[in-house]
This record gives sequence, C-alpha cells and structure tokens, in this order.
Amino acid sequence: MSPEGLAFLALGAVAVITALAALLVRELVHTIMWIASFFVALSGLYFLLQASFLGVLQLGVYAGAVTILLLFGIMVTRRRIFSREAATGLSLTSLFLALLVIVLLAAVASDLAGASNSTTIHSYAVVDLSSALFGPYGGWLLLLGLVMLSALSGAIYLVREGRE
Amino acid sequence: MSDPITTASFLGLSGALLGIGLFGILTRRNFILLLIAIEIAINAAVLNFVYFAAFASTPASGLNGQSAAVVLVGLAATEIAVGLAIVLALNRLRGSINVTEATSLRL
Repeated sequence: MSPEGLAFLALGAVAVITALAALLVRELVHTIMWIASFFVALSGLYFLLQASFLGVLQLGVYAGAVTILLLFGIMVTRRRIFSREAATGLSLTSLFLALLVIVLLAAVASDLAGASNSTTIHSYAVVDLSSALFGPYGGWLLLLGLVMLSALSGAIYLVREGRE
Repeated sequence: MSDPITTASFLGLSGALLGIGLFGILTRRNFILLLIAIEIAINAAVLNFVYFAAFASTPASGLNGQSAAVVLVGLAATEIAVGLAIVLALNRLRGSINVTEATSLRL
C-alpha cells in the first residue's frame, strides 16, 4: 500500500472517530477539542489531495476561527464551562434515518467504484485557483461577500442592547 | 492490498460523515451541538468537492471544484456566526440554549 493510501486510511479513521466523539461526549468543552481535531484531520485530507490552499483555509477558518467562536459561545452561555450536558436519549428513529442515509450513499458509491481509473492527483497552483476565483467565480465571491455583510449586520441586530 | 484512495472510499467517508452530522442534527438538543453537527455535514460536502477536483479530467473543472469548496467554507463560517448570535439571543431571552424550548419565532 502506498504511503498516501496509509495516510488516507489514518486520516479518514481519525475524522470519523473524532466526529462521533464530538457528538457523543457529555462535556461541551471536550466536544470543542474533538471537533478541532476533526477539522485538523480534514485539513490533512485536503493536503493529501494536493489542495494546499484549501488545507490552509480549513486550518485557519475552521480549526482556528470557528473553534474559538464555539468556545466563546459556550463560555458566554454557561455558568461553569466544564458543566456536563444532560444526557440525550439516542432516538431509534434518528439513528435509523442516519443509517439509511449512510447505506443509500454507500450504494451509490459502490456503483461508482470503477468510475475513476485515474490515480494521479492533480495539484493546482494557488495563482490558478485565485484567477479562477476572481475570474469565472467572481460573481459568487462577490455574492459571498454580500452574504457575509448581511450576516454580520443580522448578527449585530440579534444581540443588540436594549431588547426586552 | 490495493490502494485505498478510490472514488468509492472517498464517497464512503464523506457519506459516513454526512450520516454522523445528520444523526447529530436529529438527536442533539443543545444549540451549540446542533451547529457542530451541521458543520460536520457541510465539511462532508466540501470534502467531496475537493476530492473530485483532485481527480478532475481537465484543469478548468478541477479549479471549478476548488472554487466551489472555497465559497462553501466561507458560507459555513458565516452560518456559524449567525448561529452563535441566535444562541446568545436565545440564552438572554430564555436562559437556556435548549432548542426544544425555542417554540416561538419571535426571538
């Protein structure tokens, strides 16, 4: 097995285990640590796929900013941040629905098993990605900026002083 | 043993992550855990974009996939910011961030 294959198996296993652990542990602060390792494992997968810009973006935006934002949310809403979450019963219906989605997607994936015969991973220079982002995808980027701006003003409106 | 980096294994991985995220969305009652579950599901989709970009037949389509992934990462970060603003407002008004207690649309 190639080193890339071993790295994929390891990173994929870490991603699945940390995602499960983040949702199943009882203490919210531990959840944040698990989700941070999940984001780092995914960024490792992006580096494995030669998408270095997205790997760095994942580390900066998710493992950095989103993790800190979530931690901040927990600090503000809890009296003691190490307090435990009340146990939520594992509902059979939701477990069934989630398993159904996994099985359906696995069926589709096994249909595509022979679809890609290419084994070479293409890597793109950041220059090419940025000219695609500011060329054909310029409208989407502009739209993303507008969405972020309206989200910012919406968030300020939601938490503004003088309500109630 | 054959090389594990195949379309099926990557789709299986992102399908499993999507399933885990969906499971979290359906079972967790804490708003912050709900946001985390949504993030896991979105990251499963981004992983697919990056995977198919890496094995695209032409450079142009590969760059399209990576551009879509960049836009998605930005959208997901925006969603977290708005979600946490809702968490703070909910906490101030109800004293709890349990989503089952948020029964009225008027925050």
